[in-house]
Amino acid sequence: MSKLLQLNRENWKVSQLGECAILMELEQEGYQTAKVRKVLNVLESVTINHLIDIIPAYHSIALLFKSPVNLHLVSELLAGINWNDKKNSQPQKYEVPVCYDLGLDWAEVEDFTQIEKAQIVETHSSQVYTVAMMGFVPGFIFLEGLDSSLACARKSNPRTSVPKGSIGIGGQQTGIYSLESPGGWQIIGRTPLSFFDVESNPPIKLQPDDKLIFKAISKDVFDHFEYE
Amino acid sequence: MITLSMSRLTVVNPGVFTTIQDSGRFGFGKYGVPVSGAMDVESFKLANQLVGNPHHYPVLECTLQGGLYRFDSDAEIAITGAEMNPVVNGKLIEMNCTHRISKGDELILGFAEKGCRSYLAIFGLLQADKIMESYSTYTLAGFGGYSGRALKKNDILKWEPTAKVEFSHETLKPIDLDKVPNVKVTLGTEWEWLDKKIQEQFFDSNFKVMNQSNRMGIRLDGRALKSPDQQMISSPVIPGIIQLPENGKPIILMKDGQTIGGYPRIAKVVDDDLWKLAQLKPGNSLSFRKVM
Repeated sequence: MSKLLQLNRENWKVSQLGECAILMELEQEGYQTAKVRKVLNVLESVTINHLIDIIPAYHSIALLFKSPVNLHLVSELLAGINWNDKKNSQPQKYEVPVCYDLGLDWAEVEDFTQIEKAQIVETHSSQVYTVAMMGFVPGFIFLEGLDSSLACARKSNPRTSVPKGSIGIGGQQTGIYSLESPGGWQIIGRTPLSFFDVESNPPIKLQPDDKLIFKAISKDVFDHFEYE
Repeated sequence: MITLSMSRLTVVNPGVFTTIQDSGRFGFGKYGVPVSGAMDVESFKLANQLVGNPHHYPVLECTLQGGLYRFDSDAEIAITGAEMNPVVNGKLIEMNCTHRISKGDELILGFAEKGCRSYLAIFGLLQADKIMESYSTYTLAGFGGYSGRALKKNDILKWEPTAKVEFSHETLKPIDLDKVPNVKVTLGTEWEWLDKKIQEQFFDSNFKVMNQSNRMGIRLDGRALKSPDQQMISSPVIPGIIQLPENGKPIILMKDGQTIGGYPRIAKVVDDDLWKLAQLKPGNSLSFRKVM
């Protein structure tokens, strides 16, 4: 059972994800990061009783409540919100240094893409990427904008531990493991930047739709990287 | 100078997998942080209530086999959840009630004869890492609880005195472990993607809990359910959601589960039945019943 809502001139399908959770999905499928961010901005600026978390993804958003909620009531509530994004927060742009020499899977990536490492580095570090979402594991940053020539199958045997700061390619996507965690993406480099701090609130400053560019650095610069 | 000596115990044997858990970590799902917290919320709350702690206080969650703990201070404790035949100084003690422990006493929690997870609450506030507003241990990323990991031999746990909570209306009862195999679900957001026959097969099947099950998810074995042809775009998931990967073996997401998933969400275990999943051991069987 679901309901259709028009918010900000976009059609959203609203359904029950669990007793205490509502799922909003854009009717239009695929990467919809900018539209998701707009709705996210408004949701975060209004007060919704008992709302305890908002989880954005590629074309959907989950609203998690403290206690059971009713689809009809939440739909009415959503329809009553003023969806003009007054805060109008602009996406931030970040430069991310990457030591590509610390990649762990160059042989596999070169073999799969049939492109040499130097060219892959050149291509990978000349795109502007968009933060699509964070998830799967804490601080894993999914990025849109990978050049299609660099698409590469995931590892058939996922690693039980990928080092913190690893930059990976998984299918058509690239992303950052901001904490050490298990993972199956092909690792092509590492950033000395620390994105995720479990002691901070929020633990990560990035937001969906923020822009990232990668800048290649040497192993020496990586080793002596100074945090601002 | 006054030094306050805190009460403590020594972990002589940590059991199979014992972690500190509280009611969970809420509000950080947008950063990919799972809720964590006690898998069997009913038994967790009861353990705290029995010793006079607030319901959300951190406790020990013991999996399959509880271990051996030497109390270096007097304590008031309660053990709930899976039947682990607790023994103090060689004498069997009862589950689901409060016990006074004296300095020097040894507590043994054995193999889970019935159920899978037991909860050991100690009156007072356990000292543990509070990360993102919760004491719960999340071992995958290594934070919270006891240094972000399961307990090890020779670890020392400390707790500080707190005010006793009086529970005038005792509404919590021990769980009924005989009810574990019948799990109530609601239909999932991608349920309609399944063929009619596969939908029937899901409710007619007996599934078996696989060995790879853990705090992240319960993996089910059984006759494979044909997964739908539609391609799923990764979307948010919560504990209790049953995902159907390409191999046709459902996975029920649990408290340490991921926040975003890429498989069809075919059903959702109702929140009131999540404790049953926490008490399923590898090899146990279960079936699903639809509720509105």
